[in-house]
Amino acid sequence: DSHLFWQSRELFVLTYGALVAQLCKDYEKDEDVNTCLDRMGYGIGVRLIDDFLARSAVKKCRSYSETADMIAQVAFKMYLGVTPSVSCSSAAGNQFSLILDKNPLVDFVEELPAERASLCYCNLLCGVIRGALEMVHLAAEVTFLQDKLRGDAVTEIGITFLRKAEDRKHKRN
Amino acid sequence: NYPLYIRSVPTENELKFHYTVHTSLDVVDEKISAMGKALVDQRELYLGLLYPTEDYKVYGYVTNSKVKFVMVVDSSNTALRDNEIRSMFRKLHNSYTDIMCNPFYNPGDRIHSRAFDNMVNSMMMQV
Repeated sequence: DSHLFWQSRELFVLTYGALVAQLCKDYEKDEDVNTCLDRMGYGIGVRLIDDFLARSAVKKCRSYSETADMIAQVAFKMYLGVTPSVSCSSAAGNQFSLILDKNPLVDFVEELPAERASLCYCNLLCGVIRGALEMVHLAAEVTFLQDKLRGDAVTEIGITFLRKAEDRKHKRN
Repeated sequence: NYPLYIRSVPTENELKFHYTVHTSLDVVDEKISAMGKALVDQRELYLGLLYPTEDYKVYGYVTNSKVKFVMVVDSSNTALRDNEIRSMFRKLHNSYTDIMCNPFYNPGDRIHSRAFDNMVNSMMMQV
């Protein structure tokens, strides 16, 4: 699987770059580009999840922790060829942090242009994760907590699983 | 035909280097048209020694996309062999293609890249 990815990797990375560059031409404000990337990612995620489930044939995750591991170790590996490290960042067990050591999407981007300092270059990924999780009935907030392109030490994606609406109904009974 | 990147060490004679490079472009163009059909298949054209001046040797390299690389080396440096020059041009070419892949770089812009600077610096230190 990951071998197939590497064959078209450059085209994929260049396409993503072209997408971001075009959005930067279309929108003046970084926040608008970021929002657009997130929305696009969401559209991809709700569709990609079926491809993922079909190709990975994994069992249903029984906990948030298993889900986070699945995202990092199976999904990221399958689609980007990298495996971020996962850690739980809350006692409640619903917040996780994925640290990306390598990120092929930014391979050719040395640094953000000076006028685009708040651009979240890979924000598409947050939308993808959010959309995919929603299709398996998990509501989550996904954002970049740190970004090497923006000067931080590491690139870190934060996933916060939110209480499902059904849970609240259940409690009322 | 303006330079996208120009760097010299030491920097006192920078203007002279600029001039040397600019005049060598004519030689590059001559060589390209002289080679003509023979090298239409080759992806890259190492042009070799363009011309020796009183103090310098000037080497040229041009890609199929008509990007020209010019290297000016002190004549007293006799240790530098042809294959070393070739590999330096190859490194330059590779770094250049990395820059082309940067979605924020517009072809024709001047090159402002730390990675490119570092590569050029380390090459110039080695000579």
